[in-house]
Amino acid sequence: MENIRITAALIVAVLLQWTARGVWEPLVHIDFVLIAVVYAALQRNAIKAIIFGSVCGIAVDALSGGLLGANGFTKTLIAYAVSEVARRVYLDNLMLRIPVLASACVISNAMLYGLNAVLGDAPSAPFGRTMVFSSVSTLIVGIFALLTIEKVPLDGISNRRTGGELFSRRRSSRRRNPIRF
Amino acid sequence: MLERSQKDVWRFSPWLTAFLLLGNFLLMAYDAKTQSQERVLRVGIQAAANFIQSPVTAVTSGISGYFESLTSLRSAQTENEQLRERVQQLDFQVQSQIGLTEENARLRGLLALKDQSPLKLVPAQVVGRDPSAWFDTVILNRGSLDGVKLNNPVVSNGALVGRVTAVSPLTSQVTLITKNKSGLGGVIGELGGSSAIGVVAGSGRRDMLQMGYVPGSVAVTVGEFVFTTGQDGIFPAGLKIGTVAEVETGSTGEPHVISVEPSAKLFSIQEVAVVLYEAPRQPDFEKSVPNATGEGKADRK
Repeated sequence: MENIRITAALIVAVLLQWTARGVWEPLVHIDFVLIAVVYAALQRNAIKAIIFGSVCGIAVDALSGGLLGANGFTKTLIAYAVSEVARRVYLDNLMLRIPVLASACVISNAMLYGLNAVLGDAPSAPFGRTMVFSSVSTLIVGIFALLTIEKVPLDGISNRRTGGELFSRRRSSRRRNPIRF
Repeated sequence: MLERSQKDVWRFSPWLTAFLLLGNFLLMAYDAKTQSQERVLRVGIQAAANFIQSPVTAVTSGISGYFESLTSLRSAQTENEQLRERVQQLDFQVQSQIGLTEENARLRGLLALKDQSPLKLVPAQVVGRDPSAWFDTVILNRGSLDGVKLNNPVVSNGALVGRVTAVSPLTSQVTLITKNKSGLGGVIGELGGSSAIGVVAGSGRRDMLQMGYVPGSVAVTVGEFVFTTGQDGIFPAGLKIGTVAEVETGSTGEPHVISVEPSAKLFSIQEVAVVLYEAPRQPDFEKSVPNATGEGKADRK
């Protein structure tokens, strides 16, 4: 069921990315695909996150004025990095997921700008302003998305987490040493 | 279905990442090198995305149009009176224009000049905008099946918007004139009557263009209109680009640095027109040189 949730999240993210700017200009600053890729990688589904990151990135690039493959490259790398972090550190807690998502936003934007500036045409949007707007808006929407996506019932069985609990219970077995290298 | 253990996944994922990164890198290199017409993958995805973007645009523009029409009802009566007055003025102007057109045709006939064919326009609707915050392109619902070709200029209410940079059978992608590297020939004032000719390009700001290479000795004032010269081989002459917003005055040896505000509302355009314009062919200098093809040598023998 988790696979269906991830696949659905990525498809919806691509469709939103394609159409959001046409609905309201400021929505362009939200990187829906990045949120979905980070979510997939956080589920420790590394292979799916990496492949979908690449495919969704290319799907966004095709409609963009930037280099074809720049978004694919960035999202692939982000998916791998986040899945590696999720493998080593227990990120079930939302408070730990926020810095991961924030770092992913900043790295993704910086890489996208850099790749286009080096290999293609430098983007016409101002770097600092676009970077801040994109990172902040993606982070805010991402937090809400991570909160809500877990609550979507797919199999008719009630979720593992109940009663509006925001954070997962602490795992007593890993309490002393949560970092594993 | 193939089930993999977590250990297999951890072992496999770095290789998969490396493979996909290499693939994306090659894709970028290919995209940077090839012409827009040959970008099969980009064009294919654009055509597929059109089936999603078009209905969404139709719904959202319908909703926003409904609310706009409600708000505009208030001012409709006064606007109607103003328009009636304007129609009367224009009627008078049209009558005098008819006389001038007939006179022009007669004089052209006397001078045996060929009629220049007017530019053919294809009306189009913006169905999508760039999904990335870093770039400003728009997707139109007209493609090669409607006669749209690569580098065709795109206008909105007579003002230049950009040029077509990728064409699929059903859609076309337009790069706006605000892009940093989209230089075009521009003239301040009337073409032929002004020597303030330069190159208009993106300025790094989304709402402003920059005009360079205008000689510092030529007087330029804020508020003057900037038109295309037609010398760049892409845009026809006489299309309005924008108005001069700011001038950093140069000297005799130093050109002016001019900020130009685009006339088209680039970030809220809904309807545009693609100009099916093909620039007149430049003389092929290479072939005209006798030694270039070896014909000269043959003649000499």
